[in-house]
Amino acid sequence: MSLAKIFSVSSRVRASGVSGVIVKRAQYSSSSEGNVEKVYPQNIPGYKYVNAEEQDMSFRAMSDRAAQTMFWTELARGFAVTLAHIFKEPATINYPFEKGPLSPRFRGEHALRRYPSGEERCIACKLCEAICPAQAITIEAEERKDGSRRTTRYDIDMTKCIYCGFCQEACPVDAIVEGPNFEFSTETHEELLYNKEKLLSNGDKWESEIASNIRADHLYR
Amino acid sequence: MSLGKFLALDKLSNFFNVIRQNGGIRASLYKLYRQDDVKDGVLVGEDKYGNKYYENPRFFYSRNRWVEYSDKYYLNYDGSQVPAEWFGWLHYKTDLPPHQDPSRPHYKWMADHTENLSGTTAQYVPYSTTRPKVEAWEPKRKDSV
Amino acid sequence: MLRQPLSRALALTSPVRAAPLTARRFADQVQAQPEKVEVFIDDQPVHVVPGTTVLQAAAQVGVEIPRFCYHERLAVAGNCRMCLVEVEKSPKPVAACAMPVMKGMRVKTNSDLTRKAREGVMEFLLVNHPLDCPICDQGGECDLQDQSMAFGSDKSRFTDIHFSGKRAVEDKDVGPLIKTIMTRCIHCTRCIRFASEVAGVDDFGTTGRGTDMQVGTYVEKMFLSELSGNIIDLCPVGALTSKPYSFAARPWETRRVDSVDVLDPLGSNIVVATRTNEVLRILPRTNEEINEEWLADKSRFACDGLKRQRLVSPMLVDSRGNLTPVDWEDAIVATARALRDCPPDKLLAVAGDLADAESLVALKDLVNKLGSENTCTEQYFPLEGAGIDLRSSYLLNTKIANVEDADFVLLIGTNVRFEAPLLNARIRKSFIHKETDVALVGPKVDLTYEYMHAGDSASIVKDLATGTSSHAVARRLEQAKRPVVILGAEQLRGPEGAALLAYTQQLALKLHDKLADKSWKVLNVLQRTASQVAALDIGYKPGVGGALQGGPRVVYLLGADSGVVTREALPKDAFVIYQGHHGDVGAQIADVVLPGAAYTEKRATYVNAEGRAQQTLLAVSPPGKARDDWKIIRALSEVVGERLPYDNLDEVRARMSEISPALVAYGDVQDNNYFAQATALAQSLQKPLSGKLDVKLKQLEDYFMTDPISRASPTMAKCIQAVIKQKQSPY
Repeated sequence: MSLAKIFSVSSRVRASGVSGVIVKRAQYSSSSEGNVEKVYPQNIPGYKYVNAEEQDMSFRAMSDRAAQTMFWTELARGFAVTLAHIFKEPATINYPFEKGPLSPRFRGEHALRRYPSGEERCIACKLCEAICPAQAITIEAEERKDGSRRTTRYDIDMTKCIYCGFCQEACPVDAIVEGPNFEFSTETHEELLYNKEKLLSNGDKWESEIASNIRADHLYR
Repeated sequence: MSLGKFLALDKLSNFFNVIRQNGGIRASLYKLYRQDDVKDGVLVGEDKYGNKYYENPRFFYSRNRWVEYSDKYYLNYDGSQVPAEWFGWLHYKTDLPPHQDPSRPHYKWMADHTENLSGTTAQYVPYSTTRPKVEAWEPKRKDSV
Repeated sequence: MLRQPLSRALALTSPVRAAPLTARRFADQVQAQPEKVEVFIDDQPVHVVPGTTVLQAAAQVGVEIPRFCYHERLAVAGNCRMCLVEVEKSPKPVAACAMPVMKGMRVKTNSDLTRKAREGVMEFLLVNHPLDCPICDQGGECDLQDQSMAFGSDKSRFTDIHFSGKRAVEDKDVGPLIKTIMTRCIHCTRCIRFASEVAGVDDFGTTGRGTDMQVGTYVEKMFLSELSGNIIDLCPVGALTSKPYSFAARPWETRRVDSVDVLDPLGSNIVVATRTNEVLRILPRTNEEINEEWLADKSRFACDGLKRQRLVSPMLVDSRGNLTPVDWEDAIVATARALRDCPPDKLLAVAGDLADAESLVALKDLVNKLGSENTCTEQYFPLEGAGIDLRSSYLLNTKIANVEDADFVLLIGTNVRFEAPLLNARIRKSFIHKETDVALVGPKVDLTYEYMHAGDSASIVKDLATGTSSHAVARRLEQAKRPVVILGAEQLRGPEGAALLAYTQQLALKLHDKLADKSWKVLNVLQRTASQVAALDIGYKPGVGGALQGGPRVVYLLGADSGVVTREALPKDAFVIYQGHHGDVGAQIADVVLPGAAYTEKRATYVNAEGRAQQTLLAVSPPGKARDDWKIIRALSEVVGERLPYDNLDEVRARMSEISPALVAYGDVQDNNYFAQATALAQSLQKPLSGKLDVKLKQLEDYFMTDPISRASPTMAKCIQAVIKQKQSPY
C-alpha cells in the first residue's frame, strides 16, 4: 500500500457529499488496518456514489476491459439500443399536433372579460395594478359618458409580467384573467405591450375556454 | 397473450390499418411529410376552420388526442390555430368536445379565433387608448389671402 | 346674539378647539388658567384643563381614539358612536368626543368592553354601507375602510345573501364640484357642520329618522359656497367625492408634491397629486398660519385648467400675421433682435398676476441692463406719498392667523369672501367664536356673516379717519382693543386711490395710537394677485398707465393676461413679446410667444399678501417645449448680449436675497413698521373723496374665473353656469 494511494482515497472521501459518515468509517477501518479500497461505503441506502470508481485491477477484469475495447462491443450495444427505439412508441409528443395536458388554473395570456351582455367587466378599481409585483399593469380611468367607472387605458407589459396570477386573484369582478393561451410568442418586443383593446379582443376570442376554466375551478374559489 | 401479439402481428395489422385509414400509401406519405407522424384514431370532431380532432386511447396520455390542421394551411400550421372551443379538449382539461358540452357560453359578442399573427402585416401594434394629456392653445388665424 | 347655528355647538365650544397657540400670538393668554385635572388614559396620567374631552385628553398622550363624526375644527356632534370608550365605574361605554374629563377619571381605550363596543358600532355602520369599495373614489383613503380593518370584527354575521333590506338613498345634485353617493353616507354630519359653521351656507341638514335619515338639502339645490370642496376632504367615507377627479386615480398611486397655491393672494399651502406627469387634484396642506386645513374652490378645482389652452411651443408671427410654432432658437433670436433694436426708453416690461419672483427678478435685471426702467405690474397701487417704498403700506400686516384675535374688523372696498376666501373664513371664525364684529365700507355683498354696512361712498373712510363721522362704526372702532382695517387694493386704481390709501393709513394710525398692545397691527391692504407683493418688493412699478403713454416700441409681457395692455393702446408697430403658460389675453396680441411653466411645473417663489415668501415645487414637467420662466429670460439675455450673472436657481435666489432678504425667507413673515412715516408722507394726498367704492367680485359666479388658469378650466366654467342656473331657480 503506497502513500499515494492512501492520499487518493482520503481526497475521495473529502469530495463525497456524505463526508460525516464516511470519515467515521474511514477512521474505523484505517485503525483496524483493513483494505483501504473499502474505506468508503459502497451500499448506504439512500445514497449513490457518483464519482469515478477505482477500477478493478485484477487480471481478469483488465483482460475483460481490453477485449471490450478491441471488439467495439460498446458500439454494437449502442446501435442495438438505437435500433430498438425506432420500433418503440416515442416518448415525446408531436407538438403542435399533440399537446400536453393543462390545468384549468393555467396562467397564460391575459384577457379582459365581458359580462354576458357584452359590457366590459373592468371597473378600474386598480387593485390589479396595485398588487402586480412586476408593475406590469398601467391603468388610467375616467368617468364614462353614462357615469360608470371605466378605464381609458389598460396596458400590460407582457415582457414585465411574471405570470404570478395575482391580478386575477385581486380582481373583484373577474375582469382580468390569465387565459389558457400560451401560444402568443411574437417576433418583436412591442407586440407584447398589450393595450386595452388587445386584452378585450383576447377576452372575446377566448371567452369559451376562460368561462369553462372558471366553472371547472368554481368550488375552490 | 395471443399468438398474434406474441409474434408482433398486431403491429403489422396496425400498420396497414393506419395506412388504410389515412387514405392509402400516397396519402399516408403526404401526411408523414406534413405531420411527421401518421396515426389511426377516431375522428371526434371538426371545427369551423377545418381542423380535425382525433382520439385513440391506444396511445399514452398526451399522445392520445391530436389535431390535424386543415389542409389549407399546408405547412404553415401553427399551434395557435386551435380555436378556444377545442383548446380544452385538446389539452385534456375536459373530456367533452365543445359540441357535446352544453355549458359553454355562446354570446353574440364572442369573436372569431385568430392564429398568432406575429410577423405578418396583420400583427398587433400597440397604440395609446387615452386622449393627449395637454391641450395646446391654437392661436386665432387672421383671415388673410 | 347666538351666532353659532347649533346651540349645542356653542355649549361645547372649548378653548382647545381653536387654532393652536403657536399660530396665534395674540390669543388671550391673560385669562386665568383654571386648575388642571388629572385623568388616566390607559393608566397613563395626563393633566388637562377642565372641559377637555376624553378624546382630546387621549390625544395628548398619543392615544388615538377612532372617530367618524368628530373633527377638531368643527363642533362636536357625537352621533357616530365610534369613539366609545370604557370609563371605570361607568356602567356603559361613553362617547369620548363629547365627554368632558372629570377628576381622576380612568379611561380604558383598549379594554374588552371598548373593543366590543367599537366592533358593534362598526357592524351597525356596515350593515347599510354598500360594499362598493372597488368603484368608490374614497377607496384607499377611507376612514371607514381603515377603521373597519383596525377595529372591526374579523368575521361577518351577514349570512343572508338574499337580504334585500340594505338601505339605498337617492343621490343629491349639489353642483358640478361635489359628487354625492348618498347610499354610502354614515350620517356623521361633518358636511352639515362645515357648511353651517365654516362656510356659512346653512343649506345642509338631515331629514327623517333612523333608517330613513338622509343628509341633504331637502329641496335639491347647489351648495353655493366658495369653500365647498372642503366637505370632500371632511367626508370620512365616499359619500362626497370630487366630481372633476372622479374615478381618475387611487391615492396610493399618486405622487404628492407640496406646493403653494397662486390663484388667490393668500398663498394657501397645497399638495399637488400627480400621476403620469399630469396634475390630478390639489388638496390643502395644513398651515395654521394661512389656510388651516381648508382650501378655496378655485385653488382646488382649477387645476384642470393646467391641461388646456397651454402654450407648448414657441411661436412667431409669420408674414401673414399668424402665430406659427417655431423652434426655441428662432423665437429667442427674433425676441433678442427686437430687444436690442429697441431704444431703451421705448422698452416696457409688464408682469402679470401669476409671475414668480425668480422670473420677475430676471426680467427686471434684463430690462435694466438694456437701459430701461420701465418694469411694471398690471395691478395698480398709488406711487404718491410713501408709495411702495415702505413694505407696510401694501401688505396684510395683521397677518391672517391674527385676524382671529381681532375684536373689530373694518373692511374697506373689498369683498373678502371672493378675493381671499380663507381670510374670510378666519373672520367668520372669529365672528362666531369670539364675538368679533365686522363693518364694511363698500358695496353690500354677502360675506356669510352679519356686518354693519357703513355705506359705499369713499368719503366715509375720510370721515372715519378725521373723526367727523357719527356712524356706529366709528364708535365701535373707538372702543375696539384689537381693530383690523382691511383695504382692498382694487380701490386704489382710480384717481382717488392715493387719497383713499392716505385716509386709511391715517385711520389705522389713529386706531393704533390708542392701543394698549403696540405690537398689534391695524392697517392691512389686501392685494388681488399672487405676484403683486413680490413684484413690488423687487421694485416693479405698479400699473401700466403711465408707461403706455410713452408709446413703447417693444412690450415684454410676463404672463400679463389681465387685459390692461391691449393692441389698441400700443403704437401700430409695437412688438409684443408674451411669455407665459396659457394662451389667453396676452398671447393673442403677441408677436412672439415664449412658453413658460405654470406654478405646478416649476420651483418658484411667491410672496403672499402677508409678505410671506413661499415656494412651489416641481410637480410635473412643463408640457412640450415649455421651460422654466427665469431660464427663458436667462437664455434670452445671452443672445441679446447682456448676460445675466446667474446660471442656476441658487444663484437666482442669491440675487433675490440681495434685493430683499424677505424674498427667500421661506415660510417666515416679518413684522412691518413705519406706519407713522407712511402716513406722514401721505399727508399731502388727503383730498376730499367723492367716488363710490365698487368691487369686481360681487357674486359667487364672478369668483370662479379670475386668471388664465381658471379661465381655461372647464370645471370653473361649469361652476359659473351651475351657479347662474341655481340663482334662477325658485329655491
